[in-house]
Amino acid sequence: MKIKKNKGDIALQIFAYIFIGLIGLVCFYPLLMTLSVSFSAEKVIAIKGYSAIPQDFTLDTYVYIFGTSGKDILRSYGVTIFVTVAGTCAALLVTSMLAFAVSVADLKYRNTIAFICNFTIIFSAGLIPWYIMCVNYYHLKDNLAGLIVPSMFSVWNMFLLRTYFKAISQSLYEAARIDGANYFQIYVKIAMPLSKTPLLTVGLMYALQYWNDWWNTLMFITEKKLWPLQYFLYNILSNVNAISSGRVPSGAAANIALPSETVKMAVTILTIGPIIFAYPFIQKYFVDGVMTGAVKE
Amino acid sequence: MGSAKVKKKRSGALHELKKNRVLYLMCVPGLFFLLLFSYIPLAGIWMAFTNYNVVDGIFGSPFVGLKNLHYFFFGTGMGPKSIYNTLFINFWGIILGLIFPISIAVFFNEIQGKMYKKFTQSMMFFPYFLSWVVVGTIVYGFFATDVGVVNRLLTALGVDKIRWYAEPKYWKTILICCNVWKWSGYNSIIYLGAMTGFDRSLFEAAEVDGATRFQLITHLTLPMLKPTAVVLTLMSIGRIFFGDFGMVYGIIGNNPVIGDSVAVIDTYVYSAMRSLGFSYSTAVGLFQSVMGLILVTLANWAAKKVNDGEGLF
Repeated sequence: MKIKKNKGDIALQIFAYIFIGLIGLVCFYPLLMTLSVSFSAEKVIAIKGYSAIPQDFTLDTYVYIFGTSGKDILRSYGVTIFVTVAGTCAALLVTSMLAFAVSVADLKYRNTIAFICNFTIIFSAGLIPWYIMCVNYYHLKDNLAGLIVPSMFSVWNMFLLRTYFKAISQSLYEAARIDGANYFQIYVKIAMPLSKTPLLTVGLMYALQYWNDWWNTLMFITEKKLWPLQYFLYNILSNVNAISSGRVPSGAAANIALPSETVKMAVTILTIGPIIFAYPFIQKYFVDGVMTGAVKE
Repeated sequence: MGSAKVKKKRSGALHELKKNRVLYLMCVPGLFFLLLFSYIPLAGIWMAFTNYNVVDGIFGSPFVGLKNLHYFFFGTGMGPKSIYNTLFINFWGIILGLIFPISIAVFFNEIQGKMYKKFTQSMMFFPYFLSWVVVGTIVYGFFATDVGVVNRLLTALGVDKIRWYAEPKYWKTILICCNVWKWSGYNSIIYLGAMTGFDRSLFEAAEVDGATRFQLITHLTLPMLKPTAVVLTLMSIGRIFFGDFGMVYGIIGNNPVIGDSVAVIDTYVYSAMRSLGFSYSTAVGLFQSVMGLILVTLANWAAKKVNDGEGLF
């Protein structure tokens, strides 16, 4: 039965279309602006300012970047890719093993283990004790392990994965147990193959976290050759920011070479580039992960 | 008899560990990680009550009691200021973090065009994928003095340019807007997720009774979203003493003029580490953790009251 719409309903619907369209535009406009500036000619930007339509379309900026600081950027790309791939694989292994174990109803102390995990969210020692341990005792300063190891396990992701694992019928495990399989074999041969989508979801969440991370670099890395892309960009931005304030120690100002507007935006695009290309394919996994994480079991 | 009971219990635990040793071994890497990065650092909290120096180490340095915490509250204006900034930014983050995601979810639900929905959701979710550093460059594109979008607009309207990066008074507002911008799409998905679980028959019955779409929203959708909103809000309240270091540092960077005026507790701990030493900043971090513990416990208790015994954890 189709119910006839009144004027109010139609007005509401029109409003919904406009409202959501506007919000979408506000969320997306900055990307268009960044893209278009990176493809614009520097001198036009200086006159006309930033805009969402490329002005005097040119690839000069990218040619320039790879010509002058190409080696630095490519090295940073290498660091980011290595950290993302190695970190995601390691994190996924550690997380999925624990998530699987606490999803098995047979495990008597699973709630104790879950509490040990939860407590770290509720109470932490804070930055400084963590930092001193990492630097003085675990020797994470100025090596790539410092970019990978401190983010290798997220309690949130573990619980998200546990929610997925819990959906697998325990009777499958019991059948395998009777056939003489141990739980590690069950994890490898049953739980993992049945959870390809969840593993991809959580894996992508870790990958995004590693790709976007610059906190670990800020903490541990002083050597420029170990900088990931994000920190490379942070360093540019931070200098620009300090100079824009109009109050920079005079000695420092002389040492900072300011990149041009187009270079800043081109480096930004290079930083988020892979995300833009992958976005149409990976978005649905994140939506699924967010929804599953929100639904309490 | 007591000791016999204990012995039996212990052998029970041993038996369990033996029986499920494979599963427990699988937990070892994760638990070892938490031991290294969460539990062992807890011992370092002792530094908050000492005057740490490298030679004497964490436990050998002279004990000073609550002096560090006292200095945080009364010794420098920065302590109370960073608390105020953290609470201020988070408070508005919570309020706008309710208004925007809920209205996005509600109106998004009214749209029938499938392609339009797909397209707009992709756009709204996009900011979540950007790091705060990237958001920082975007903010720069808007607020740069000469080339920025905002100043161009002001000039076009005949108003004088503003040197944003030299004016501290605007930045708390800008940071709040950035926060809403980055998270609204993400949070609206949580509400949309809750909506998919709604009982459709209620809506159909109301439609048959002649309810308008607007009445459906105010009488059904919004009340049914309330539990989700309450849980999310309580979680944010539990973390209200924690500022977003990445946001503040990623957008403000080393700016010496704005830095202090938007400092949240987290960025203050970081900068105090260099200027005022490890012990003092450990004490500041401890204050934050203790406040977090108290508020999360309260929020969890409140969530149980509201949600029939279901807490946040």
